Amino acid sequence: MHSTDTIVALSTPPGRSGIGVIRLSGKGALDITRSLVRDEDFNPEPNHVTLKKIRDPENDEAIDQSLITYFKAPHSFTGEDVIELSCHGSPVLLRQIVDLILRLDARAADPGEFTLRALANGRMNLSQAEAVRDLINAQTHAAARQAVRQLGGELSSRLQPIKDSLLEIIVRLESSLEFVEDDLPSIETSHISSKISNIADYVMNLAATFRAGRLLREGIKVTLVGRPNVGKSSVFNGLLSSDRAIVTDIPGTTRDSLSELISLEGVPVLLTDTAGIRSSDDKVESLGVERTRRAMADADLVIVVLDSSEPFNAEDNEALDSVADNLHLIAHNKSDLLFFENNNISEIAHGARAIINVSAKTGAGLDALREAILEPFAISDIYDPGVLITNARHFDLLQRTHNELITSNEVLDEGRSEELILVGLHNALRFLGEITGETTTEDILSQIFSTFCIGK
Amino acid sequence: MSFDEKFDVIVIGGGHAGCEAASAAARMGVQAALVTLNLDLIGQMSCNPAIGGIAKGHLVREIDALGGIMGRVIDRTGIQFRLLNRSRGPAVQSPRAQADRSLYRTEMRRALEATPNLHLRQGMVIDLIVKDKKIRGVELQDSRRLRSDAVIIATGTFLNGLIHTGKRTYTAGRAGEPASIELAQSLKGLGFNVGRLKTGTPPRLDGRTIDWDSFEPQLPDETPVPFSFSTDRIEQDQITCYIGYTNHAIHQAIRNNLHESPLYSGKIKGIGPRYCPSIEDKVVKFADKNRHQLFLEPEGHHTHEVYLNGFSTSLPSGLQQELVNMIPGLEEACIIRPGYAIEYDYIDPRELNPYLETAKIKGLFHAGQINGTTGYEEAGCQGLLAGINAALSVSGRSGFRLRREESYIGVLVDDLITQGVDEPYRIFTSRAEFRLALRHDNADERLENYGRSLGLIGDCDWERFNSKRDRISRLKYALENTRLKLSDAQFHSLSFLFGSSLTPITLSQLALRPNISSDFIFDLLPSNIRTEINLIELESALADLLYKGYIDSLRNNLHRVYQHDSLKIPSDFNFRSVSGLSHEMVERFERANPRTFGEARRIPGLTSASLSTLLVFLNSQQA
Repeated sequence: MHSTDTIVALSTPPGRSGIGVIRLSGKGALDITRSLVRDEDFNPEPNHVTLKKIRDPENDEAIDQSLITYFKAPHSFTGEDVIELSCHGSPVLLRQIVDLILRLDARAADPGEFTLRALANGRMNLSQAEAVRDLINAQTHAAARQAVRQLGGELSSRLQPIKDSLLEIIVRLESSLEFVEDDLPSIETSHISSKISNIADYVMNLAATFRAGRLLREGIKVTLVGRPNVGKSSVFNGLLSSDRAIVTDIPGTTRDSLSELISLEGVPVLLTDTAGIRSSDDKVESLGVERTRRAMADADLVIVVLDSSEPFNAEDNEALDSVADNLHLIAHNKSDLLFFENNNISEIAHGARAIINVSAKTGAGLDALREAILEPFAISDIYDPGVLITNARHFDLLQRTHNELITSNEVLDEGRSEELILVGLHNALRFLGEITGETTTEDILSQIFSTFCIGK
Repeated sequence: MSFDEKFDVIVIGGGHAGCEAASAAARMGVQAALVTLNLDLIGQMSCNPAIGGIAKGHLVREIDALGGIMGRVIDRTGIQFRLLNRSRGPAVQSPRAQADRSLYRTEMRRALEATPNLHLRQGMVIDLIVKDKKIRGVELQDSRRLRSDAVIIATGTFLNGLIHTGKRTYTAGRAGEPASIELAQSLKGLGFNVGRLKTGTPPRLDGRTIDWDSFEPQLPDETPVPFSFSTDRIEQDQITCYIGYTNHAIHQAIRNNLHESPLYSGKIKGIGPRYCPSIEDKVVKFADKNRHQLFLEPEGHHTHEVYLNGFSTSLPSGLQQELVNMIPGLEEACIIRPGYAIEYDYIDPRELNPYLETAKIKGLFHAGQINGTTGYEEAGCQGLLAGINAALSVSGRSGFRLRREESYIGVLVDDLITQGVDEPYRIFTSRAEFRLALRHDNADERLENYGRSLGLIGDCDWERFNSKRDRISRLKYALENTRLKLSDAQFHSLSFLFGSSLTPITLSQLALRPNISSDFIFDLLPSNIRTEINLIELESALADLLYKGYIDSLRNNLHRVYQHDSLKIPSDFNFRSVSGLSHEMVERFERANPRTFGEARRIPGLTSASLSTLLVFLNSQQA
């Protein structure tokens, strides 16, 4: 038994965790990884761990640092080439990487598919399989419940009219093939072609909501860091527009991490204020520092707060160093006070996504900061068809549907016969069916017989 | 119990399923008896005198490639051949032929009588003799008993047949022939799950009373495409059929008389085929259509009888005559035989295995309309398969089955035994996932070696097949390796097709471009190839080229869906033992009783989680 395609899935439980493991299995696993790390000569030794930066192939931007383990076929869980990427545990980040992999010619795995491949390749014995079987049951049941709750059937009902008009086209083309001797209305190619384009556009727009849908569901986790007394809590409160955190002039007042959920343009943002990063003998405070480090590891975005009125010192540098691998931006606070002139911010702010001058006291620059928080997640340009795609598998299926429809239209434009145009249309219908439920041949035939008077 | 005669295989019924079954079994070397009510009506076309059509024509060519007889018989008796869908791709083209009804019967009987080991017996089977869940033989109405370890029931519409015309009903298997009442009871007594279906037929007219000039002629193909791979040329004179239309006045008259229709008065309970609706159905269900198409099909060279295709009806005979006379051109037409509807018993085909043998009784096979199908071609291929498997079974050999991806026959049988039927089942190309691969012209390439190894393909046909295969492989080599260069005169004349890019291309690359005809490619072939192949063989090779990419990607796409299909489910498998399956899913599995994962996958109403669960369980059991 040979599986021809490469599958990908997040293999740690969904939700926040310290690390998240993404698993790839199939012939293309290593090639896809090479594209991910932007290194064509990347030849990891099997069963060894390599630290690599994952970059977006489109803009070469570093997304995460990841521990990569290569299991060479047949000595892997599935018996195929397997790559495991241990990444930081942020759901947003993990989805972003899975998303990237899906664009690199892998397919989202079906429930239990890794196990099936393992069984198919004789990599598992009976008792192991039994255990995994129970796990799949649990997963699929949970997934089903989750889907029902989260989507409320919304996606299916949005897709139904699309599926119906696709079915209508299929019915017309199929009838003209099967019932050549019947007195059927003639088909206008240009009409069919524009209908297919419309469906393709709709599907594409729906797929494009995936990024936003994910953020809406999971939110963005933003952590504020900085040395004590630069005004982290004031910035935190400014973003909150309330006096949630205690603000004093005594360094180290915020000894615990405070978290608050705010909404920026409808996107949930979990904002965490942290204790300042510095070595301290105070037990309570050092506990806070430890929590800070954890909150940073867990963040989608870190805001480093600097005090623009004082000279930068070693503690500022330490704070900036500690976020070098995180997506981060700098809030240059206390802009209402005089700038300390000798500060050269660009010298120390390497890798920051943005530098925003703010005054938590007057409120100046806070709107710019809010915008800067959302900017890396590109949610401003989302199309809103009334429903958002939140599931990576749905996203994958919609993209595939779109591709099939485009191919069908190309075949149509070449003037090919109906049976060839129908190949892509049937594939598209099958992919949509994996979201909304299958359309059987019997359904298609029923539709034909209720639409046209067929038969001698 | 004493028996009058003993055979290896007994076939009940001399229709299209029965003839193929008896012929195949006998030619595989076992003693086969064909028991039929009336030897003069062997191979009777009860309804439309035509064979083939889209997908149905594919079935006939598959029957032929496996060594069946339907293709040869229609080739000798067809009086109007047409290849349908000529303007479309090769995968959906299909041959159809109008038959001389009486000649077809004669030719079929001749073919059976010329077959060694085949014994024709006239009589009505009234009972099946069963012992220890095994078939032992059959009992005839005249009290003869015939002994056999394999019995094929191919009784068509005869099981409990009930004819309707208007409010009048009477038992009959076909107009003028008795129904099989006792056999139907015998089957019920054995515990089979029996249902009721309906079909209908239109009136036949006296051709001398038709004003032919009022109709549009429908001409036969100039060069008829035969059904059988062994036929070189069609010898029968070809005739013209005619097309006409109903009109609003007729529709109104039908609507006014619906109370006379057994369909609409609720007398008929059986479900009829949707693709073969009666004129009453057409008028009621498509009320906005102001005309319906009719075909006037002459029934043969030596008769005036004309089949009024498209006007199937069960209205009272007198009313039928009035309605027919309202059709433009049929004002003076006389009905020779009125149309009628017939209800009959069928047995749930989900009780069959892929060899068409019943699960309940070993050695008992069902083929044709008894399984809920409609059409001669559908019947014929089941008969062939049942005949093959009956012969294999009595010889102690393992059964023969066909897969969905290699044949329409495989699709049909698989649909029947996994999905069952709720209306008469007809084949369509859209039922086949791999329709691009299942062409009528490559049926021999797909199936002929099966026919050969079963002993149904003679030396002469086998040699012809092999030499064709060699020719086509030389042709394909030439297509791939003949390059057109800029210096070629022909290439210059083609330059408009290529714009500025004048790189040399192969003939196969050229053939793949839209709007390049096969004649065109033919003329460009090297002369040694051109002299040994014909245009049909070239078209076949080009079709392989055209579809290759599509079929490969389809296989990839469907591989994921089908890859576990052959995984076996033990016959004593307990679905309740699979933890994690809901009650509803367990019930669906148990009702369908799938033998493989592929069959399970096609059970309607299953969730994908339940299939994943079953799959993992089956895999772990067999690991």
